[in-house]
Amino acid sequence: MCNANGDQPIRLKRRPIAQSIENLDQLLSLEQGRMSRDVFWDKDIYEQEMERIFARCWLFVAHESQIPKAGDYVSTYMGEDNVLIVRQKDGSIKGFLNTCPHRGNKVCFADLGNARQFVCNYHGWAFGIDGGLKGMHASETYEAAGMDKSEHGLHPVAHVDSYRGLIFATLDPDAPSLADYLGDMRYYLDAVFDMDEGGTEFIGGCVKSVIQCNWKYASENFVGDILHAGWTHDSGAKAMVGGPVAEVHKTPEQSYHVNFNGHGWEFNQDIVGNCATLGEKELLKYLYVLQPKVAERLGELRSKMIGAISSCTLFPNTSFLPGQNTFRTWHPRGPGQIELHTWTFVNKKAPQEIKDMWRKGTMMTFSPSGVFEMDDGENWEYSTRSNAGFVTRQQDLYLGLGHDTRVEDTDLPGNVYQGQINEANQRAFYQRWLDLMKADSWKTVPQRDVPKMKEGV
Amino acid sequence: MSQPILLLRKADLEAGKVRKVDVNGCALAVYNLDGTFYATQDGCTHATASLSEGEIVDDECIACPVHDGTFHIPTGQPMSFPCEHAIRTYKVIEDGEDVLVDLDQESDAAADAI
Repeated sequence: MCNANGDQPIRLKRRPIAQSIENLDQLLSLEQGRMSRDVFWDKDIYEQEMERIFARCWLFVAHESQIPKAGDYVSTYMGEDNVLIVRQKDGSIKGFLNTCPHRGNKVCFADLGNARQFVCNYHGWAFGIDGGLKGMHASETYEAAGMDKSEHGLHPVAHVDSYRGLIFATLDPDAPSLADYLGDMRYYLDAVFDMDEGGTEFIGGCVKSVIQCNWKYASENFVGDILHAGWTHDSGAKAMVGGPVAEVHKTPEQSYHVNFNGHGWEFNQDIVGNCATLGEKELLKYLYVLQPKVAERLGELRSKMIGAISSCTLFPNTSFLPGQNTFRTWHPRGPGQIELHTWTFVNKKAPQEIKDMWRKGTMMTFSPSGVFEMDDGENWEYSTRSNAGFVTRQQDLYLGLGHDTRVEDTDLPGNVYQGQINEANQRAFYQRWLDLMKADSWKTVPQRDVPKMKEGV
Repeated sequence: MSQPILLLRKADLEAGKVRKVDVNGCALAVYNLDGTFYATQDGCTHATASLSEGEIVDDECIACPVHDGTFHIPTGQPMSFPCEHAIRTYKVIEDGEDVLVDLDQESDAAADAI
């Protein structure tokens, strides 16, 4: 008898509950501009992000232009959940988990296409574009077993909705509406996705790459970090335009940070600053000609944002650059890796040669071999990787620029801060992150930001 | 040859479309391929499925709505995985504006193939 002494044998060691999850408030001291490195490294935090951020928030899943016809679909990710976004026969859009409810195999292996049905390779379960189970190989045996097909369709995504051609989905049935979720960011989104009456479209394909970084380093960069450009991208800018990045820190009076619900946009009002880095004068001309028309439709301020030095992240993991026209999602792949999906967006009514110039321009600058993407990727990889150090990980990081830059007396929607060299948006991003991580349901997520826009705009 | 049975009026089925018609308890899929009418059994020979809910592809094949296997409509022959067994065809008789079927005879194309 191995347990003859009568003591209970210790058969399993249980890992203590991770302190970081229990003490989320200790991770961020945003008023002091401090934050923990654990948020970029801790596996339990990552798991909780999957549940409370990615299985809860509205996430970008497709552009309307990718799926114009019934049966058109894209395969994409919501967190690490693979989903199919499918145009229906009535023109509506539905989403489903890309997994067979029988034995779990993927039912669609293509990135996008047109389908009459999705048939699982394993046992021939066949699903309509509405997700319903239509039949199986050897269907008689299921009929003999009394199986009810209506109970075994593809698992639906809870809600799908779109704004200005951008399709979003949420896996949480209790999520607020997309209009509520985007809130006052819609005002600024119009400056890019409604600058021209025809709206925008994605052109070319999706360019994918893997970066060994935490997803939040990418998101926080685009939410508000123009600061890095003057340093990180100096050589890239000199190669592309023959000079350094504009010294935007010297003219804070003409630029802003704005944020709402954790989404953020840092922008200048120089109309073409981002676009200039593509090195195509015809594109600048296109924007300068368009700007007065945008001013008529959307007002002076937004007309000056159409290609300006700026960047935006829609919480949690979708970003874009006006002027450079790259649109991207940073799909999390564990705490130390992302799968980056990027597209080029253009105004639908733009001339074909203008569209082609933008497509080439995004490839030159923001693709895996693009001059700026390479700069960013290495920074984010080592910002992540250094946190492997046990002692290193105990040290705080600084995030304190732009305290006392809040602009209270303004008609601009959202939370407005003066000067785009700022970390106000990053702090708002992490505040939203913390609010969601602490809340066990949408009902308990604090509503910090008061919308100025009406719901149904 | 049995008495031909009325399936539908020509105007009731536009070109490129398929429709299910029940005749004496027998479910048929009736097709209009560019103005010529055809009829086959409606049930797929592979698994439980109604071919009339499928789509006409490659001009003269029916794609099953369940596994996307195809049959050649004029002859009933299986054309692609997972279909292995031909579907039954029926002789269609066009009489003015009427489309009729003879349930005892195969289609002309199928009969020729045999």
